[in-house]
Amino acid sequence: MRRLRRYGPGAAVAALPLGLALAGPYLAGEAPARAASFTLGEGYRLGTDFVGRDVVHQVLLGGRPVVLVALAATLLAYLVALPVGLAGALTHRRWLEELLMRPLDVLLAVPSLLMMLLVAAVFPPGAAGLVLLVAFVSVPDAARIVRAAAAEVASRPAVEALRMQGESWWRLAVGHVGRSIARTLAADAGIRLTGVLYLVATAAFLGIGVAPDASDWAVMVDRNRTGLLIQPWAVVVPALLIIALTMGSNLLVDAAMENRTPPRKGRRP
Amino acid sequence: MNGLRSWIARRLVLGALQTAAVVLLVFALTEALPGDAAVAFAGDQPDPERIAAVREAMGLDRPAHERLAEWVRGLLHGDFGTSLTSGRPVSGFLADGFGPTLLLAGLTVLLLVPLGVGLGVLAARHEGRFTDRLISSATLGVYAVPEFALGVLLVSVFALRLGWLPPTAVGYGDGLLAHPAALVLPVLVLLARPVCSLARLVRAGMIEALAAPYTAQARRYGLSGTRVRYGHALPNALAPATQQLARTIDWLLCGVIVVEALYVIPGLGTVLMNAVADRDIPVVQGLAVVFGLATVVLNLGADLVTHRLAPRSEVAA
Repeated sequence: MRRLRRYGPGAAVAALPLGLALAGPYLAGEAPARAASFTLGEGYRLGTDFVGRDVVHQVLLGGRPVVLVALAATLLAYLVALPVGLAGALTHRRWLEELLMRPLDVLLAVPSLLMMLLVAAVFPPGAAGLVLLVAFVSVPDAARIVRAAAAEVASRPAVEALRMQGESWWRLAVGHVGRSIARTLAADAGIRLTGVLYLVATAAFLGIGVAPDASDWAVMVDRNRTGLLIQPWAVVVPALLIIALTMGSNLLVDAAMENRTPPRKGRRP
Repeated sequence: MNGLRSWIARRLVLGALQTAAVVLLVFALTEALPGDAAVAFAGDQPDPERIAAVREAMGLDRPAHERLAEWVRGLLHGDFGTSLTSGRPVSGFLADGFGPTLLLAGLTVLLLVPLGVGLGVLAARHEGRFTDRLISSATLGVYAVPEFALGVLLVSVFALRLGWLPPTAVGYGDGLLAHPAALVLPVLVLLARPVCSLARLVRAGMIEALAAPYTAQARRYGLSGTRVRYGHALPNALAPATQQLARTIDWLLCGVIVVEALYVIPGLGTVLMNAVADRDIPVVQGLAVVFGLATVVLNLGADLVTHRLAPRSEVAA
């Protein structure tokens, strides 16, 4: 019951967009015949889009790329950030730590969307390129969090004792430190996923890493904007789904994090 | 005092390094173009004569380090090079787009601080009660929503459905200030995310500060609630929030690009998007340097303010 109260709101908001993103492509079936662009009704429940495709069909297809790209980018960011952060925290060589972490501090100064636009101006990316790009701009912050969490664990007497016993670096890093920081990282990964969802959707809206007629909620919002006056559904439905997706996932992450901090008893003076 | 001075010196060095890194990164990226900038610019219809002309204009036949040195020398004198598409100096593009963007960003920051701090303090004063729960869940929900989705929704409700506000700023050009109605939706959309994050941080900091021993002591001295709250608790609560304010600059820059595209405002973001679409490399470079510099300088400022507000706390660098 308490679980339901905690996760209920987030789950309720995120259920529809997540469900559509996962199951939509299986429900979509064959694409209906094209009609004139921006029509309302006439056999199409939500009308047609800017090139006359069925909006319902596009909505069913359009969630998957957003969610998949975001998941892949978050995963990839951690694949890079984990070894870098762990090495930075566990090494006793100051120059190595500086070498690993300082460039990230410098990269943090560049706004993430600006970085993505800059790269996109030079190499127009595809979906895989977008994953790489989003992962790349997420690495500095993730690596800093990993390092901070690992440095705290690494300074504990237990780690010093293991080191003196002559345990290998690998067992120290993965077996002890890695396990101890897993919870912090899980929380951070949740936060990062919502940030990445934001970046992926915004990039697609600006036309980075997507085809101009891609079946993608963010692209639908962008391309169907010209017909907003005559056919609002082609814009409003995907926009609402994106809002529900980002809002719901953020509520879920926050609910999950409440677990980690012990509840405070009563009001403080 | 000595510690403070060395801290400021270190922070300034980091800022200078970040600036240098931004400039180098921008140059290196365009240097990594397959072929070179001239070929990329020629695009689908590679006309050998035109490619040669662009190469000549950009001096692409010379070694990279010479061009880098010249470009940096130009930047120091405010010379950003010339556009490939129009032949106009890049600084002209910057000057055109500067006004609307500054107006948008300025208005947003001006409203952001009182709104964010106000909401945060309000929630903290009612911790655990209805007002707090309302503010906390609303800010948590809106926090992660992309600007374009929110903006499009607001346009369809307030501009198209209700007809209260103009849907875009088309036709107002430079006279944006004379048409405040056209600015309401863009500023509202730009505010949404930063206000949420600021309010959440101020709330958390304020709750902690109000529970700290020094506020209890101040109360025991018989200071009024208002004075304890705003004179003693708030400055301490603001320190982590100022750091976040610097982070919001990143968001604000992203947001400005999206909002300008959405509401057709002819600012720097629109110039940047057009240049990216045309692959007009010198304009992209110039804008990237300006945006990057703005971030570095504003981050530096925020760190200095944080240090002033709460000198005990460790700040980056």
